[in-house]
Amino acid sequence: MKKCSSVFTSLFLLGVITILSGCSSVAPWERGVLAKPQMALDPHPLQSGVRMHNYGSREGGAGTNAEGGGGGCGCY
Amino acid sequence: MSKSSLDKPTRHAADHPQQLDTQPRHVQEDQASNKSILQALTSAALVLPGLLAAQAHAADASSGSVNFQYSRYQESKRDLYSVRSDLKPIMVDTLHGSGTFFLTDRMKLSFGYTQDTWSGATPLSSVPFASTAGNSAFTRVLPTGEVVSGASPLATGTVTLDRNLNPLRFDTAGKQLVDPRTVLVLSSASPETRSQGDFRLGYEWDEATLNLGGGLSVENDYESAYGNANGRFDFNQKQTSLKWGAGYTSSRTSAILDHDTLGYVTTLAYADQIKSRDNLRILQGDRRDWTSSLGLTQILSKNTLVDFNLGYTHSRGFMENPYKAVTVIFVDPQTVSPDPGDSIRGNLRAVLEQRPDVRNQLAIGGKLVQYINPLDAALHVAYKFSLDDWGVNSSTFESDWVQPLGNGWTITPRIRYYSQSSADFYHPYIVSDQAFTRIVVDEQGEPQVVTYDPKKLPKHITSDHRLAGYGALSGGVAVNKKLTSGIALEAGFEYYTRASALKLGGSGNSGFADFDYYVANAALRIDMDTINFSQRNPQPRSSKHQHHDHLDHGGGHHIPAGVMFGHMLDKPGDVMVGYRFMYSWQAGDMLHGARKASDIDIVNLACGDSQLCKFSPADMTMRMHMLDIMYAPTRWLNLMLMPQFMDMEMNLRELEGRPPPVPGDHEHKGVPHSTGGVGDTILMSLIKLIDLPGQRLHMGLGFSAPTGETDLKLRRMAKNEGGLFHFDMQLGSGTWDFLPNLTYAGTTHRWHWGAQLYGAKRMESKNESGYRLGDIFQASTWGGIHLTDWLSASVRGVYTHRGRIHGDFNTYNARVGPMDFPVNQGGQYWDIGFGLSAAVPTGKFAGNHFAFEWLQPIRDDVNGFQLERKGALSATWHYSF
Repeated sequence: MKKCSSVFTSLFLLGVITILSGCSSVAPWERGVLAKPQMALDPHPLQSGVRMHNYGSREGGAGTNAEGGGGGCGCY
Repeated sequence: MSKSSLDKPTRHAADHPQQLDTQPRHVQEDQASNKSILQALTSAALVLPGLLAAQAHAADASSGSVNFQYSRYQESKRDLYSVRSDLKPIMVDTLHGSGTFFLTDRMKLSFGYTQDTWSGATPLSSVPFASTAGNSAFTRVLPTGEVVSGASPLATGTVTLDRNLNPLRFDTAGKQLVDPRTVLVLSSASPETRSQGDFRLGYEWDEATLNLGGGLSVENDYESAYGNANGRFDFNQKQTSLKWGAGYTSSRTSAILDHDTLGYVTTLAYADQIKSRDNLRILQGDRRDWTSSLGLTQILSKNTLVDFNLGYTHSRGFMENPYKAVTVIFVDPQTVSPDPGDSIRGNLRAVLEQRPDVRNQLAIGGKLVQYINPLDAALHVAYKFSLDDWGVNSSTFESDWVQPLGNGWTITPRIRYYSQSSADFYHPYIVSDQAFTRIVVDEQGEPQVVTYDPKKLPKHITSDHRLAGYGALSGGVAVNKKLTSGIALEAGFEYYTRASALKLGGSGNSGFADFDYYVANAALRIDMDTINFSQRNPQPRSSKHQHHDHLDHGGGHHIPAGVMFGHMLDKPGDVMVGYRFMYSWQAGDMLHGARKASDIDIVNLACGDSQLCKFSPADMTMRMHMLDIMYAPTRWLNLMLMPQFMDMEMNLRELEGRPPPVPGDHEHKGVPHSTGGVGDTILMSLIKLIDLPGQRLHMGLGFSAPTGETDLKLRRMAKNEGGLFHFDMQLGSGTWDFLPNLTYAGTTHRWHWGAQLYGAKRMESKNESGYRLGDIFQASTWGGIHLTDWLSASVRGVYTHRGRIHGDFNTYNARVGPMDFPVNQGGQYWDIGFGLSAAVPTGKFAGNHFAFEWLQPIRDDVNGFQLERKGALSATWHYSF
């Protein structure tokens, strides 16, 4: 487990560095498209809440959005 | 008020990129031609923080906003092979409400409330299909003469195994065949409700944010408290953002071990954790979770951005599901014949599952968001991998296509694939090479029963199919409609299919647990910033509101909270959105007419001529959440739509002098009875009759649509039907009801007063369960004083007449107490109400109104035998624009 964690962390950082070095600069006035609602990271936050709750109570895998809490037992 | 709206910094818009195109705050009406340019610039400068704020946190959907959402989760029936289960599959109704308010320009506070009620059949364990355990089909005749057939769970039994421990079945010719099939043992549950409240306080700097939050989730058998912190740093000219989060959750399980299965489930491993209380056996365990996350969002080009996230969770403590058991096939070595041709006989027993006390989970995910220029659409593609030290590795692929269609419509089809490997300690069942019990003669020569040695079983073991290996495919669609007034409607649907065969790299061998589900949701979002802006043009908002508060509404906003349909909107096109909470509490004495009834009278008189009562209600609470949407198409007519969501809980007590229990009868006692879900939906029209300065009379003509269920049942225990819940615990009337009302209200600078007549007339002779509720007539009158320009207090007198129930249950009900008989319903009730109401006249929260009223019973004169009322609370919020 520990070994796996460090491998993944390294991969993650590697990916990040690659992307950072590869991207060109986008000036603030060129970000009109990025501001469109369809470009939001989560365009449907309310619905996502429901979906994540269902997946969380029906699946065994972990999520990356680890800040949460709550959600109840899901003991069914 | 308009000043403060103008002063509001544009930064808020960044929190909600969805609204950017409608929030050019610095644009004046006469500059309409420059609007789009300014808008684009404003958007552009602010884009990054906005993108990042949209984390999957429903309570924080936008700035200065209120959201309501309803969703229904419905599972399919499980496949039990030859046996047809009559148990309803799992269904969950969820209501969510949240609000975000800016306390200062940089500080915001969010509140969220979620309530869900679930019911249905869940797997207890899994057994070889060839065994005598499983789900036994039965047919029986109820006391009402009805014939019911279904399946009853059997967690214990016997099985014949071959020498390789494969289950054997005998075909019709008596020949032994290997039957590798496994089947779930399904048991049913009565409805249960969970409530969760949370808050979040956020602060924004120019290039960073910090949020602190916490919450509490409460259900009968599980309580969870949590706190978290997260933040964001922007750099590289806001092209790059680093996100972090940390959280801590502390949870306690207090599971009431099921009467029904307790005799069949071995709880040996938890002997120290099981406590007895009121004849109930309660399994208690604590659990703590520490979570952390790290993320990065990067703009790659004007059309592309990526997001990476890493999450780590460390959990410690009781992580078992207290209602799940594992089947152990005990094979006594002494009974195994030396002849290798002979089969082996196994003794099936269910033991509570045991999971490790520590779990470490790591997840890593990435998302690409790409703008598709010719279609003005966005493609979202995401992948997530997770692994943990229980052996569960998972992969998730997800893709959304967000397609705006014009006129505020957006449609989003989506697809998702998920696959996980099995936990190291997951088994559908296990075989143990020892006897479950055997007789040993001790040193004194006395025979002693010795149970199995738990040490010979694996230390950790589960048959919960959520820890099995499988895959899942789901697809859905979301539709959004943004109305120009700052209200957005959202609806979604998703269909999910779990299949062992869909597992990445081969079958998960848990096909017996496959199921499908669908989720449908509908949401309403109110964005106050957009409303504030649109209302500044063309006329100043402040004058309009003054108008509302004092004259046009006839003191409408000072009407006590408990009065429904009490005020009207005035201007064509005006909209009001409101939320109403009602809580009622019954406890104390049982009444017969207006007097206290003794237990012996209840036993002998309250349950009809031919029967004696066994139980009486000890207390009952009802909570109702109602959404209140009002629209004025013309000056004299208002239309209202009011969906409701309810939940009830009733505790029973055994009456002194009750008849003794029938041996073998399973009585539903000790555990509170609860129900919940969608209630009836009210459709109302209000018609203005007289409109004088400071005085008004209006009439309401409306209907209540029977959207609340009236056939909710208590769970079956063993083969005893639970039957329909008591009348008061059903969620609606079950009939179309006519709701006429007449309201008079007056106000001066200092005082306000009013009166209302209200009725409910059932328009059908009976509902689907065979009865109809009594009609209602209510008269109330009130007077109040304006304490300040924003706060007023009121006193109200209320008289209510409610008729008895007509007809009766047309299907089985256990008839255990007065609450199950139609004659013990209705009566005359007198109450006095004390209320406060507050209207925010100016500032950024102008347009918000809050009211509370406590209704104190003065006198009850009930039909038959009923539980005394202790009081009722009404709380309302509404926002008109």
